[in-house]
Amino acid sequence: MLAPAKAFPFPTTIKTLANGLRVFVVAFDSPGLVAYYSIVRVGSRNEVEPGKSGFAHFFEHMMFRGTARFPTEKYNAAIKAMGADSNAFTSDDMTVYHILAGTSALPTIVTIEADRFRHLDYSEAEFQKEARAVLGEYNKGASNPLQPMVEALYDNAYTTHTYKHTTIGFLRDIEDMPNQFAYSRQFFDRYYRPDNVILLVVGDVTAAEVLPLIETHYGGWQKGPPHPEVPPEPPQTEEKRARVPWKGASLPMLLLGFHAPAFSTTNLDSAAMEVLAELVFAERSPLFRRLVLDEQKVEHLEGGCERHVDPNLFTVFARVKQAKDVPYVEKTIYEEIARLAAEGVREKTLAEVVSRTRYAFTGQLSTANKVALVGSEFLALTGSLSAIDDTFDLLARVTVADVKRVAAKYFTPQNRTVVVLDPEAPHEPQ
Amino acid sequence: MSLSAAALSVPSQVAETSPAHPIRMIRLPSPASPLVTVRLLFQVGAADDLPGKEGLAHLTAAMLGEAGTLKRTWSEVLDALYPMAAEIHVYGDKDAFVFTSTVHRDNLDAFATLLAEQILTPRFSTEDFTRLKQDALDGLTKTLRGNDDENLGKQALATVMYARHPYGHPTLGTVAGLAAITLDDVKDFYARHFTQDRLMVGVAGGYPESFPDAYAARFAALPAQGQPRPQLAPVPARKGMELLLVEKSALGNAISMGVPIDVTRSDADFCPLALAASYLGEHRTFTGVLMISMRQKRGLNYGDYAYVENFIQDGWTTFPLPNIPRRRQHFEIWLRPVPPKSAGFAIRQAIYETDKLIREGIPAAGFEATRTFLSNYVNLWAQDGSRRLGYAMDAVIYGRDIIADLLARLPTMTKDEVDRAVRKHLSTKDLAIVVVGDGVRELAAAVSSGAATPIVYDTRDTPAEVLAEDKHIESYPLPVAKAQIRIVSAAGLFEK
Repeated sequence: MLAPAKAFPFPTTIKTLANGLRVFVVAFDSPGLVAYYSIVRVGSRNEVEPGKSGFAHFFEHMMFRGTARFPTEKYNAAIKAMGADSNAFTSDDMTVYHILAGTSALPTIVTIEADRFRHLDYSEAEFQKEARAVLGEYNKGASNPLQPMVEALYDNAYTTHTYKHTTIGFLRDIEDMPNQFAYSRQFFDRYYRPDNVILLVVGDVTAAEVLPLIETHYGGWQKGPPHPEVPPEPPQTEEKRARVPWKGASLPMLLLGFHAPAFSTTNLDSAAMEVLAELVFAERSPLFRRLVLDEQKVEHLEGGCERHVDPNLFTVFARVKQAKDVPYVEKTIYEEIARLAAEGVREKTLAEVVSRTRYAFTGQLSTANKVALVGSEFLALTGSLSAIDDTFDLLARVTVADVKRVAAKYFTPQNRTVVVLDPEAPHEPQ
Repeated sequence: MSLSAAALSVPSQVAETSPAHPIRMIRLPSPASPLVTVRLLFQVGAADDLPGKEGLAHLTAAMLGEAGTLKRTWSEVLDALYPMAAEIHVYGDKDAFVFTSTVHRDNLDAFATLLAEQILTPRFSTEDFTRLKQDALDGLTKTLRGNDDENLGKQALATVMYARHPYGHPTLGTVAGLAAITLDDVKDFYARHFTQDRLMVGVAGGYPESFPDAYAARFAALPAQGQPRPQLAPVPARKGMELLLVEKSALGNAISMGVPIDVTRSDADFCPLALAASYLGEHRTFTGVLMISMRQKRGLNYGDYAYVENFIQDGWTTFPLPNIPRRRQHFEIWLRPVPPKSAGFAIRQAIYETDKLIREGIPAAGFEATRTFLSNYVNLWAQDGSRRLGYAMDAVIYGRDIIADLLARLPTMTKDEVDRAVRKHLSTKDLAIVVVGDGVRELAAAVSSGAATPIVYDTRDTPAEVLAEDKHIESYPLPVAKAQIRIVSAAGLFEK
């Protein structure tokens, strides 16, 4: 068992600028390398206006379209000269821009990043072309049936909250993106503000080197307006089911979603759901052994709950070998969770889940970039890196009774949405 | 290939050997690290598949890495791995398979013992065989054919580029090949190919000093020598461009194109070619010529990249997967899905940009910018112990370390060197092109008639200089003879 040392053991300096910008500098042994992460606490969760699904992700693309001082070509030339690995990603709750480069590039990184976060400027023509790159990204994903399945799951499971749409957005909204130039400026003005951004700098650098640079380049950035409220989701009252047709080859697939608690460092339900995911769906679980190894009805099985700001879904995904077995697989999953709710597990098994989770987490922290990636999620969700150790402390407090309780509480028929991919069905126009 | 003076100055990576056994070993100590990576690389791959048993190498590797041992069922192995958060990753390609994991040093002995059992004492049970063979068949006929158009295009491209060659079928196998494989075939293939002379053991991280030697010695229980490794046959020559159109329902057209080349990392010309490919389009970066001209300026798609060796992305990173060495390589362009109505234009633009590089040479500014970029970027290829180890092992196989080679040669590399290598090795004349998606019949008709294939914009205010270039590109020569255009359904691919 891993000794109860800190899960996130790296020396960290924290500074908040007068304009609300928070900066975390994490010392990590990565000779000559620095990971520079700009975390914007905006994601598809914030897309509250109708017709604007996918906009946070689209805007992430626009952030690479330059400023007056560093037009796209000059920005790209600067990135290229550093030999940096530079990109960004958007999820339901966050947009994260990341640069991995040599430490000597740090002054340039701070200069160009502060510049684009404060002074982004692009033409409508550039905006339209980028909108079509986003459509290309949607089309790229559309050859994987998980994309329409996940779309259907969230669209059915949610009635009110913005988790109803996926991060890339509904196709109809993506197709309309070229017409949303004015809204894009409003979006930037609203969310790309220092009090909604956190900088995370990890690697072979010191706070003494980093902080003065950040003060100089971000200090004059003005706070932003209040954000629109995200409407809460009322409790689901009945089971929902959807069938996704698929033209062409595929294994049949089953995707289940159960409304689950938001990520929390204090709510035991949140940690107990993580433990339940391991107990029921890990490769060593009785369910995996039965469906995948012994009966060989399922080719792939996974289940879990991603960390979210607001209550999201605990999802279960199975690729089933034959369509006729899908109902059996679905029923068996419910029975296994019900069995856990009734019988619980041995203390030893629970302890092994905690041990595995700690080892798996430690294994992730092998490079400056990976440390920054892990840290960025916790910062976006909670604004704090101590949330990492709080999470593991909470996990260690989960008892068998907690697991039994959440198994009974959340995995009810009226709380679930069921999506089945049916490769046998004729294609229906979308 | 001739070697430049600079290239000769780069030391080759040499593996350690022991007088007790022929197993090669690479160790990369990093005493402060709590993690240890083990990589067991066998120089056996899909190129070793027996004719009519395509998929045998992959299935055998799966029966070692994803199945039970004499001592434990696979379920029991998974149970033992679980508390350590250890997983055995098995992957491979035409010439090698690797079994690897990174574990906490607390768990090294227990994990290493489990992994050794997997390789030395496989269970070869009927249950595991049935499961893994069906997984391979489903992977080929369901997942590849129907769930991932870009990978489908890449695999289909290999069947054209390497037709009638051991590299010409998917590593996963073919439908007929998999159907023909018996458990006895797997046992026999294991005995002949998973042998000491084909094995390299790699260990990196915070391991005890005595661990690597002792661990490598455990594999002396394998047969010392297996079936002699035959010379790889030359790639049969093709004449002219070929267009394979894979008809299937899809929102976009995924496009891959490529042609075999005579250069691998073992050759001096690889470094200048790598620079040229990086200039055209380093994987998942925004500054390549293809990316800027196709995505940024025209909004054609999500991404456009170029390669001078087989490329598989390492997980969710931007970087190439290590330990997929090949004896033959190819030049490849990957265009992410484009609107079907603009697919002909996209193909022409990729060829136009490549031909321009070959014909005019790399622009001086582009050469300097790419050289500076690569001088820093290659340092990111081996950030952690696992990847560093993978590259070090690849260096043994190729006889040259690509990272060290680039770092040593880039400072003195010249534009002329790049231009010469490009002119010598790259050509679009015999390009194989694969398009996956809807609307391919219209594309076939346009290409065979020689008609222009204009880009279709639904966005405003495209700059005049881009529109002027579009007129040129839409009619750029795309000389594919009618007999060299084939339309197939996805369901018909990889049958045998």
